[in-house]
Amino acid sequence: MLSALLVSLKVVGVATLVIGVVGTLLALLLARARFPGRTALELLLTLPLVLPPTVVGFFLLYVLGRGSPLRDWLGLDLLFTWQGAAVAASVVGLPLMLQSARAAIAAVDPELEDAARTLGRSEPEILLRVTLPLAHRGILAGLFLGAARALGEFGATLMVAGNIPDRTRTLPMVVYDAALNGDLALAAQTSALLSGIAFIALALTRRLEQPARR
Amino acid sequence: MDPRLVVDIEKRYPGFRLQVQLAVGTEVLVLYGPSGAGKTQTLRAIAGLVRPDRGEIWLDGRPLFRCDGGRRPLNVPAHKRRIGYVFQDYALFPHLTALENVAFGLRGPRRREEALSWLRRMRLEHVAHLYPSQLSGGQRQRVAIARTLATAPSVLFLDEPFSALDLDAKRRLQEELRQLQRELGLPVVYVTHSLEDAFAVGHRIAVIADGRLQQVGPLSEVVAHPANWQVARAFGLPNLVRARVRRASADGLHLDWDGQELLAAPRELSPGEEVLAYIRPEEVRFIYPDRPLSAAVRHNRLRVRVLEQRLVRDARLVRVRTAGPPWAELEVRSPPSTYADLALVPDSELEVAIRPSGIVVLEALAQAEASAEGSSPS
Repeated sequence: MLSALLVSLKVVGVATLVIGVVGTLLALLLARARFPGRTALELLLTLPLVLPPTVVGFFLLYVLGRGSPLRDWLGLDLLFTWQGAAVAASVVGLPLMLQSARAAIAAVDPELEDAARTLGRSEPEILLRVTLPLAHRGILAGLFLGAARALGEFGATLMVAGNIPDRTRTLPMVVYDAALNGDLALAAQTSALLSGIAFIALALTRRLEQPARR
Repeated sequence: MDPRLVVDIEKRYPGFRLQVQLAVGTEVLVLYGPSGAGKTQTLRAIAGLVRPDRGEIWLDGRPLFRCDGGRRPLNVPAHKRRIGYVFQDYALFPHLTALENVAFGLRGPRRREEALSWLRRMRLEHVAHLYPSQLSGGQRQRVAIARTLATAPSVLFLDEPFSALDLDAKRRLQEELRQLQRELGLPVVYVTHSLEDAFAVGHRIAVIADGRLQQVGPLSEVVAHPANWQVARAFGLPNLVRARVRRASADGLHLDWDGQELLAAPRELSPGEEVLAYIRPEEVRFIYPDRPLSAAVRHNRLRVRVLEQRLVRDARLVRVRTAGPPWAELEVRSPPSTYADLALVPDSELEVAIRPSGIVVLEALAQAEASAEGSSPS
C-alpha cells in the first residue's frame, strides 16, 4: 500500500497542478471571453463528469497513444506510466474545478476590472490583483474538489496507465485488487484512508463556499 | 478657454446610436440627460473601456483614439489614457482596505505614503485600515475620488457621483469637488440627470438625449434657451406645445395651437408646418381684471381656469387650464410676491397674456422626428 500511496501522491500532485493552472485559465476564458463555440467547449470539458470513466480512458488512448502528435512528434509516450495516470486524473478532475472557478470568476463585478484599467493597471496585473484574489475562494474550492476526484480516479487511469505495481498502481486500484483477492483488511484500510481524505477535501470546500466574513 | 479633451465619436449599439462631439477645457462640464440617453456610454468610450466605431479622441494634444477609415487606426488602451474615472457605485475593491484601494494605482516604494497623504487630504486617514464594506456612503465616495486623483489623471470623470448620498453629504462633497478642481486645474466631466446637481457644480452643460449631444453652453443660458425639444424635454420643461404655422410676418410668427391663435417671436417658417414650441412660464402673466392694460399684455390673451398654486423656494407656480380650445394645461411662474392680491384659488377664472418673445419655437416637428429616427434605426 505504501508504494501505491506514493504513486497516488505523485499522480494527484501533478494532476492538481494541471487542474489548477489549466482550470483557472479555462475558467477565465469561459467566464470572460465571448467567442463562437464557447458553449460547445464548456460542454466538452464538462463531459468527463458524466461519461463512464472507461469512455474517457478510451478517448485518452487516442490522445496519448499511437498516431497522436504527442507521441509521434514529441516522442512522449505516456501510456502505462504514472504521468499517463496523471493526465487521466486531470481530465476527470477538471470539470469540478471549472464549474466552481468559472462561477467565482463570473461573479467578480466587471466594473472592478474596468476601475483597475482606468487606474493604470495592465490586464495581467488586473488578473493577479483583482480578478483572481476576488475569486480565490471559488477557485480553491474547485481545486480541492478536483484533487479529491483525481485521487479517487480509477476507470480512466486503468485504461491508459494499467495497474502496474510500484509504477501505476494507485490507491483505488489497491482496493480493487485487495477486494478481488480476498484481502479485506487491506481493502478496508485503504478505503478508510481514501474516505478520510475525501471527507477533509469536502469539508474544506464547504468552508470556502461560505461567504467571506468581511 | 482652451479645450483639453476633444471628442468626436460614434458607436452603434443594437437599436441605439451614440454620436458625441465634445470639447472640455479646464472646467466642470456637466453631462446632462435622462437615463438611457448615452451619458455613461460616452464616458466609457472616452476612457477606452469600449471601442467606438469611428471618430477620434484627443487629450492635451495627445491622440487616444482614431478610426476614420483613412489613416492607420489608433486605440490607446484604457490603462495608458490617464483618464480618472469615478464610477457610479464607486467600484472600490472589496478585498482591499481604504489605503490599499488608494495605493492600487500607484507605483514605487513611496506608494503607501502617497496614498496616505491623499487619504489625509480627503480627511479619511482615520479609516485607512477599514474595508469598503465598513465605510459609510460618503466615505466610500471620497475614497473612490482619492483613489482616482492619486494616479494624477489628466481629466476626471464622475458618473452620477453623489446620487446615493443624502443632501448634506452631497452638498459638502460638491463643494470639495469644486475646490479640488480649482486646485488641480483639472478638466472634470460630471454626469448627472439632476439639474440641481448641475447648478451646484457645473460651469457649462452638455445635454445628451437619444444618444446624441444636443446642446452645449453655459448652464443658465442653455436652461433659458433650449435649442430643441429634446433639450427642453430633458430639462423636464413645462408648457411644451405642438402648433401649426399660419403665417410668418414682420410682427412675428402666427401659430394655431389647436384652435387658439398664438403670436410667437418672428421666425422663418412656411405656413402649414407643424412646430414644437415652448411657452416660458415666467412670460405668462395674469391680467388684473380691474386695472388698465399695459402694453406688455397686448398679445396672446387666453381665458384660463386655475388648477392649483404652489409656492416653491423662489417662485410662485400656478397651474392653469385654458378655458377654451385647446383645453391644455399651462404653468405660470412669477416671483412669490406678485399676484398677492389676486385670488388664485382653484376654479377661479382669469385671463392671461403671453409675450410673443416668451413663445420659443424650438424646432419644426418634421425635423425633430427625422433626428429622433436617426438615433434609433429600428
